[in-house]
Amino acid sequence: MTSAEQVARLLALVPYLQSHPDAELGTTADVFGVSTDQLLEDLNVLWYCGLPGGMPGDLIEIDMDTVAASGKIRLSNAEYLARPMRFTPDEAMSLVVALRAVRELAGGHVGEGIDSALAKLERATGAPSPHVAVAGGSEEIRERLSDAVAAKVVVELDYTGAGLAPSSPRVAPAQLIVRDGFGYLQAWSLERGAWRTYRLDRISDVRVTGEPVADIGEPPAFGPGWLEQRPDAAEVTLRLAPEAAWIAEYHPIRALRHVRGAIEVDLLVADAAWLRSLLLRLGRSVRAVVPAEAAAGAREAAAEALAAYGAG
Amino acid sequence: MNLAICLLMARRFIEKSQIRQVVEGYHDLSDAAFERTFERDKDELRVMGVPVETGSNNPLFPDEVGYRVRRKDFELPAIEFDSAETAALGLAATVWESATQAEQAVSALAKLRAAGVDPDPGRLAGLAPSIGAREPAFASIWAATGDHTPIRFSYKGQQRQVEPWAMTYRRGAWYLLGRDRDREAPRMFKVARVDAPAQEIGKPGSYQVPDVDLDAAWGRLEPRQADTEAIVAIRPGRAAELRRRGRPVEFKGTVPAGYEVYAVGYARVADLVGELCAHGADALVLSPARIRQSVITELKAVTGSLA
Repeated sequence: MTSAEQVARLLALVPYLQSHPDAELGTTADVFGVSTDQLLEDLNVLWYCGLPGGMPGDLIEIDMDTVAASGKIRLSNAEYLARPMRFTPDEAMSLVVALRAVRELAGGHVGEGIDSALAKLERATGAPSPHVAVAGGSEEIRERLSDAVAAKVVVELDYTGAGLAPSSPRVAPAQLIVRDGFGYLQAWSLERGAWRTYRLDRISDVRVTGEPVADIGEPPAFGPGWLEQRPDAAEVTLRLAPEAAWIAEYHPIRALRHVRGAIEVDLLVADAAWLRSLLLRLGRSVRAVVPAEAAAGAREAAAEALAAYGAG
Repeated sequence: MNLAICLLMARRFIEKSQIRQVVEGYHDLSDAAFERTFERDKDELRVMGVPVETGSNNPLFPDEVGYRVRRKDFELPAIEFDSAETAALGLAATVWESATQAEQAVSALAKLRAAGVDPDPGRLAGLAPSIGAREPAFASIWAATGDHTPIRFSYKGQQRQVEPWAMTYRRGAWYLLGRDRDREAPRMFKVARVDAPAQEIGKPGSYQVPDVDLDAAWGRLEPRQADTEAIVAIRPGRAAELRRRGRPVEFKGTVPAGYEVYAVGYARVADLVGELCAHGADALVLSPARIRQSVITELKAVTGSLA
């Protein structure tokens, strides 16, 4: 008895093992995203498969002794199954979206390779192809950054964070990542001696220095909920007019409640300057902020701006 | 598995009775058990995408139903990639945050490897993009888009019946483009605003996806082109996004000391007012007067109501 999932895998496994003679057990399991135990089970099933008739010469041959002795898989007598099956629509869409996401981060020559790979895949599958767009700054900046990652050299950035003065941090670039639709550079800040993330669309220039990067280890995981891992993040609740509901779609919020003609959102705030900008932008739509001190920065900034307008 | 091989090897349609004789695992079953098992296996093959055809070899006796799989419909067409292309493919396995789509991408890559392509993730070590799919309705809409199944869902409090055409991921959010059956017109839906999984209201493949200009449809999601300019005084080095969008200009009126003057394009007044407020005293709008007044009103609301 074989499950549909297993049959789908076997139909790809047979051509794979024929195009990769003496494939390693562990490598093959990784390629198919299964455990080696599952792969051994697959091989045992295949051993009973073959041409109609079920005579010994009709069956797929796998040298199970070699598998046991050296972990290498030899499969033969399956020439009729030399090519894998077409992509299912789900496979094609998942692969194309993933490639498009890579494309959004890549620059220059890498980007061209991805474009041509996508074109070939789309021709081969004829599948609908979802579009992907990420706020990732300029292609030139991304290319310089990824070249610096590969060359393991320190770079100097021209960077303007939200609501902050421009700065020129010297950093050891580690990788380009995407979270919640924005591209970021993860890098070790030499001034602060800590890992930092820089939004790509806020980097206006990259100067590559000749200075080699010392061993900085792996950057910390920046997965879903990365904000929650920041020890300095505090929860702030905003009560807003209904027309400000857009905030829930543009910012990671923890909860949204409808309360008597208003909405309440809970936000995790790790950056006071970010909250100040948000409150200023929301203006009249903000009805209350809890805790109230969290609004102090915005109030002062508004008063300063009104004074500058001569309208204080 | 044996059924798949048997059908793939067949040059002509094979009748069910012949299949029962030759396929390992079928001949020992009772009549009823064979019927059940065969139907289930055949349906499973179809679900996984094996194109099992039904037909008859004899035009005079079209009731003698047989089954086959055409090799050219089954096999992945020949496809070759150069080294830059395989490097990109190698990264694709790690992009999805959602386990279901990640498995699908891994399985697609395994098929490419089986076809002799060797994706090489090591080459692009510095890139680590990721795509989330945390919307509650994502999986149901994704599946329906893949196999062209009409669906129904609640959207901003209204029931909508939609034929999904395509999806897009923009700035961290998923969108669906499809034909709204009630409005008889194409509509764009933000998947995050669908609060429960969509329900299927028809069979897969029961409508045609028209040849629409997807780029133009997605383009409407982008901010509108700026067609008007405001004059904004900006503190040196501050409000980088406004300066990048604008251009330095001379201004005839009074410019506050220590500021530089830019003309900044905008499409919607409300968006520009919000953006200017967010910069506080770093960016002061000088004209038009209407926008200046709106900014001052909003700022007064912040000093007043939040006091």
